[in-house]
Amino acid sequence: MAAVSPLLLSLVEEFVSGLQDSKAKEAAKGVKDGQFTMLQLVEALGVSLTSSQPHTRARGVQLLSEVLQENYAELTEREVEVLTAFYENRLKDHYVVTPSVLRGLQELTKCTTLPPGSAVSMLRSVFQDVHVQSLMLAERACIYNMLINLMETREAELKGLGADFVFGFVQSMDGERDPRNLLLAFQIAKNIVLQGYNLGKFTEELFEVTSCYYPIDFTPPPNDPHGITKEELILGLRAVLTGTPKFAEFLLPLLIEKLDSDVQSAKLDSLQTLAACMSQYESKDLAEFLEGLWASLRREVFQTSSEKMESAALAALAALTSCLSRSVLSSDSEDTLSTFLDLILRDCKHHLSEPDLKLVWPSAKLLQASCSASNRASYVITAAIMPSLIKQFNSRTQCSHRRTLLEVVQRFIQSVNTSQSSDIDESVFSEYRAALCSMVFSALSESNSSLQITAASVLNSLAQQTGLLLDSDIQLAVDHLTRLLLAEEDERVSSAVVDCAGALAEQHPAAFITKLIPRLKEELFSDTESFELRYHPAVHRRCLAALAAVSIQPSVVQESSPVLLDVLSSAHSDEGPSGPCSPLTKEEVLSAMVPVISTACSRLQPTLAGQTVLRVVSLFLDGDVSFLPDNAFPSHIQLLKQQQGMKASWSQSQLVCLLMACVCSLPRNVEVPQMERLLSQLEELSCSCSHLLSYSSAAKCFAGLINKRPQGESLDSSIQRTMQRVCSELDCPSSPVRTQVFTLMIWVAKALLLRYHPLFSILTDKLFSLLGDPDLGPMAAASFSLLMSDTEDILNRRCHANMRIMYRQRFFSENSAKLVQGFNAAPQEKKPNYLKALSNIITKLPKQVQVSELPALLSLLLEALTCPDQGVQLSTLSCLEPVLLNPPPVLIQQLEALISRLLALVCSPAMKIRITSIRCIHALSQFPVHEVLPFRARVLRALAQPLDDRKRLVRREAVQARGEWFLLGSPVGR
Amino acid sequence: MSGGVQLENANPVIFQRSVERLLTASEEDEDVHDPIDDREIFDLIRSINDPEHPLSLEELNVLEQVRVKVNDAESTVSVEFTPTIPHCSMATLIGLSIKVKLLRSLPDRFKIDVRITPGTHASEDAVNKQLADKERVAAALENSSLLEVVNQCLSTRRI
Amino acid sequence: MKAALTLVQRFGAHPDSRCWFVTWSPNGTLLASCGGDRAIRIWGREDSWVCKTVLQDGHQRTVRKVAWSPCGNYLASASFDATTCIWKKKDDDFEFQSLTVLEGHENEVKCVAWAPSGNLLATCSRDKSVWVWEDEEEEYECVTVVNSHTQDVKHIAWHPNQELLASASYDNNICIYKEEDDDWECRATLQGHTSTVWSLCFDAAGQRMASCSDDRTVKIWKEFPSESWKCVCTLSGYHGRTVYDVACRLTGFLATACGDDAVRVFKEEVPANPDELVFSLAAQETRAHSQDVNCVSWNPKEAGLLASCSDNGEIAIW
Repeated sequence: MAAVSPLLLSLVEEFVSGLQDSKAKEAAKGVKDGQFTMLQLVEALGVSLTSSQPHTRARGVQLLSEVLQENYAELTEREVEVLTAFYENRLKDHYVVTPSVLRGLQELTKCTTLPPGSAVSMLRSVFQDVHVQSLMLAERACIYNMLINLMETREAELKGLGADFVFGFVQSMDGERDPRNLLLAFQIAKNIVLQGYNLGKFTEELFEVTSCYYPIDFTPPPNDPHGITKEELILGLRAVLTGTPKFAEFLLPLLIEKLDSDVQSAKLDSLQTLAACMSQYESKDLAEFLEGLWASLRREVFQTSSEKMESAALAALAALTSCLSRSVLSSDSEDTLSTFLDLILRDCKHHLSEPDLKLVWPSAKLLQASCSASNRASYVITAAIMPSLIKQFNSRTQCSHRRTLLEVVQRFIQSVNTSQSSDIDESVFSEYRAALCSMVFSALSESNSSLQITAASVLNSLAQQTGLLLDSDIQLAVDHLTRLLLAEEDERVSSAVVDCAGALAEQHPAAFITKLIPRLKEELFSDTESFELRYHPAVHRRCLAALAAVSIQPSVVQESSPVLLDVLSSAHSDEGPSGPCSPLTKEEVLSAMVPVISTACSRLQPTLAGQTVLRVVSLFLDGDVSFLPDNAFPSHIQLLKQQQGMKASWSQSQLVCLLMACVCSLPRNVEVPQMERLLSQLEELSCSCSHLLSYSSAAKCFAGLINKRPQGESLDSSIQRTMQRVCSELDCPSSPVRTQVFTLMIWVAKALLLRYHPLFSILTDKLFSLLGDPDLGPMAAASFSLLMSDTEDILNRRCHANMRIMYRQRFFSENSAKLVQGFNAAPQEKKPNYLKALSNIITKLPKQVQVSELPALLSLLLEALTCPDQGVQLSTLSCLEPVLLNPPPVLIQQLEALISRLLALVCSPAMKIRITSIRCIHALSQFPVHEVLPFRARVLRALAQPLDDRKRLVRREAVQARGEWFLLGSPVGR
Repeated sequence: MSGGVQLENANPVIFQRSVERLLTASEEDEDVHDPIDDREIFDLIRSINDPEHPLSLEELNVLEQVRVKVNDAESTVSVEFTPTIPHCSMATLIGLSIKVKLLRSLPDRFKIDVRITPGTHASEDAVNKQLADKERVAAALENSSLLEVVNQCLSTRRI
Repeated sequence: MKAALTLVQRFGAHPDSRCWFVTWSPNGTLLASCGGDRAIRIWGREDSWVCKTVLQDGHQRTVRKVAWSPCGNYLASASFDATTCIWKKKDDDFEFQSLTVLEGHENEVKCVAWAPSGNLLATCSRDKSVWVWEDEEEEYECVTVVNSHTQDVKHIAWHPNQELLASASYDNNICIYKEEDDDWECRATLQGHTSTVWSLCFDAAGQRMASCSDDRTVKIWKEFPSESWKCVCTLSGYHGRTVYDVACRLTGFLATACGDDAVRVFKEEVPANPDELVFSLAAQETRAHSQDVNCVSWNPKEAGLLASCSDNGEIAIW
């Protein structure tokens, strides 16, 4: 007793009687620092704890609990034991004391030193002395947290309580209404079912007390600080309900009931829940409900109300079938899988062969979903339907029917694809291989292009079936593809053929090496004498595209890259004024070759890549043509140097785009030789050449190299050197190459932005200052779009660029304030540049970022809508549009201004502005009805005019928007 | 139509939806005037929902493009629709939905005639006369429950 | 010879809805209009035609027609809300107040008309009936309900100097009614139009009656002894769509309102054969309005002044 320090006594006194809450912190600190112990605190509290006034006692316990909160980790087992006994005893005290008691107990449950038996005794006391649902929200949360803590550390002890634990919990949560607490309760319930607590005779009670919330219907209040979503609750509850097969007999009837209801969200939830429980269930749990489940699933697909619902139903069916497939067949039990598949076939099969094919799709989708579930299911189903599909295809004459059948077949093949495990080497379709191939080849030989396209994609799917196609099939397929590639003019067909060739070549490279590549080479280098006659740019392009597409396997690349290099080298045959004109002087051929080379180089194996880059760089830097076979080039060729005085010098300098395609696409670990020299020549070319393709490709090539160059001194110094040159040219208004150096700067900026290089900020500042430049201002504004978007040819992931995720957000958050300031400070005539820059940035931001950042910029955007520049109007509209789909509150406050400005644009001279502004107005119709209803008449009147617009596309938008505004205020409108 | 109510035509034949209109280069060209053509009118109305089935009028073959005629210069539109069965009691409602959709979607210079395909309905004349009587149409649209049903047919969300 | 009409003024009267009907006050100084916006507007001439007052809140739905009492102090309005409203003009200015609401029709009231005597009022409705009401010192009592039509009754008109009433209907017919022992009954059914008869009017003398129809024709009917009316003239080939209204003027002029957006004026020719009746197209305005013309009305005092109104909510004075 004497050991109790006066300091402690005074702290206690001031907290309990003086009601000074801050004293709790001091006391906690005292304990932490070792000035006094927990037990001394209890002693010091002695008088307060035995006071006749409940409020004094409550205050005493409160101090203890708060101190405990800071110090539970340091308690000894003995202290915990004493405190536990104390708190348990206090549970019987006056109700004003209870909250602090519970808080103390919750802290104790976190103690690692909790002695054996304490957990059980604590819970017994709580279940016995506390009626949970009459407590306040926070205290109820205390109880749930206690349970969660103890389940984590004292699982074995709690299980010792047997079914009493479950019963205690059920009683505690029965009637819980608060979503935060429900999340906790669902977590406990989930632990109970998943960790195998003994449910005893309380299985149904536990199901009842949780399933009564099903389906979850919860809308968070506006400005909800807790951020609990309906989705979290749904998932929490779903984990409980689907956690154990013991619930099957209760859950399945409930799900069937909800599936039969008219509430769409309940249906969807039920389908997802159904799919989720299949991983826990066995066929015996399902047997008696199969008929009912099938009827409901079938209905959702046959009379589907939305794609979402349909795909949920199909996923549930697949899960269900897969669950049935897991059951081990024993001689005495019924084969539930085959019973179930019989049901499906009974209801669906005949639709596949009806003459008008009217219900073919829903039936096919159902069959495919079950087919995809397991190997056994796919055997049963394909055996039942493939013969009839094949027979029909061969007997039908109408192209549309044949195509539909092909599409159905393809879906079956794909559905099996996903399910086949690697240990099964025989494809389900082996039996039908010959028939399927003949279907595909006959369709490829038709003149109907959509049939050809479908057939190409079926062929693709067949090739994905391991071991299905024979070599002879592939040979035949390659013949067909080659024929179509060379002869078919329809772009959709050729792009399908190219895709198919790419996919086939990955699986079966041999036939492509022996047949396709030689044939393409022949086509590309057909008799040079009559080159002009035979040169078809479209065929050329298709050949190159196919070449790129098939170059996936190293063995193919080995064959295809020489062809590509030959194409490249043939460009140099135009030396001399009288030589024939090479296709490589044509810009469109070059542009077509860039992606081809880029694709090939990005996939090169390290050694091959090293060789390639060595040759290419020396070709461009030194004119080393020795590696090219049969070359007849002069040795002085200098591709990166501008030949002064030569009129057509750009015909060579533009070849730098091929250099770019190669060196910028290589994997990052491939070292580029002569880097410094290469960079300096590229810089020179990009800053001095006046030919657009030449200087922009040089700039891009420079940027692509900078992007991948390792961090360090040499990188920094070459950037700084280049920047100096760029800035000095830009600062000189009379410089003839301002556009060129600007192009270089913006590409370098892009390269640095992607990798978060610190020097990037210098470039940004320069770029912002150029927004006020009389000549380059508009170009600077437009360049923000380039900074923010993914580029096709370089600086993307395919080219192994050094790219950090979220570089756009980062750019935006670092620079949006500068932009707003710049806008405010700029003179009136310069403001459009800032608005344009802003809209270019925002358009490219991910939607969530747009939505969260927009409020701050809203007034600027509204301003931008009145800016006379059509480009600004358009980009502002296009970035407003997605935001309007999920409007932030500030937007709703500005509705009047927004609507007036949008309506003013629906008669703009520019078609795209009319279209986008009308789309925005369309989106407004989905705002809260009471907010927009006052504008209904005005909007309908304003939209009458674009109904008679001269452009069909505008009319179409106006019709849709006006239709929605008409429905406004009508129940179906929502 | 919920629980218990028998559909008049419980198992209608379902027809394929036509493919979306393909975009042409001239449609994207600012300077070209695109006249309103039959297909455009058909596109306005083909996705109207049937009052009874969860299907569009096109899928039920109630509407076909060949029965849609427009004369942009003279501002006239004429649509013939074919009820699924000759005694379909929904014919007037379907016609009304088509008419309302066109009224909402076309410039007001157009004169719109909606009729039943000759010989496909028992009360063809009576239905045609009602649909042509703008006073009756106006009065019908002031009837909120009827308007609701029409709006449901015109709703883009399928319920 | 087809002269054009001279436009005096055109003005929007019922914004965002159609203007169904216009009618002049008996002294020709005021014009009343009504429309889909549920309102009645009274227009008077200052420098131009301006809205003097708007009568709102009388009806829940479209106001289809309005009628001035012969004394010009009362206005009756027929509405799709199944009621007829009687409005009384206040002594001095252009204020009107709602006096009473006549209820009884099952659904839309399509037309209302005062008898020349001023103490009888007739209404008709889609419920196929025609009701005659008696006015005794501002108390209105229904005296008769007649069900002679098999369909929708579109329009009714009183004979200018006899207690005689005519009605036009969706059943393609016209009925003529007379009072008999305190009861009104149908005395003749005029057949001839092949589709809905939208409107009809008597000429000033009451010997002839003009009717117009969805069959795109106007017919002139003449009374022969023993209460029989016969069609003596059919104007066909002039109208491109439904003829919604026809109006007669004292001196043998006839104006029509048509769904082809045109207003036409026909003139009675001196016939070679006195038993024949010949009308010729005297003037037409093919684009009188940008949408359907619903109604035409001659000013009773100022010869040649014509008002028309349209689906686009506009009124035009010619």
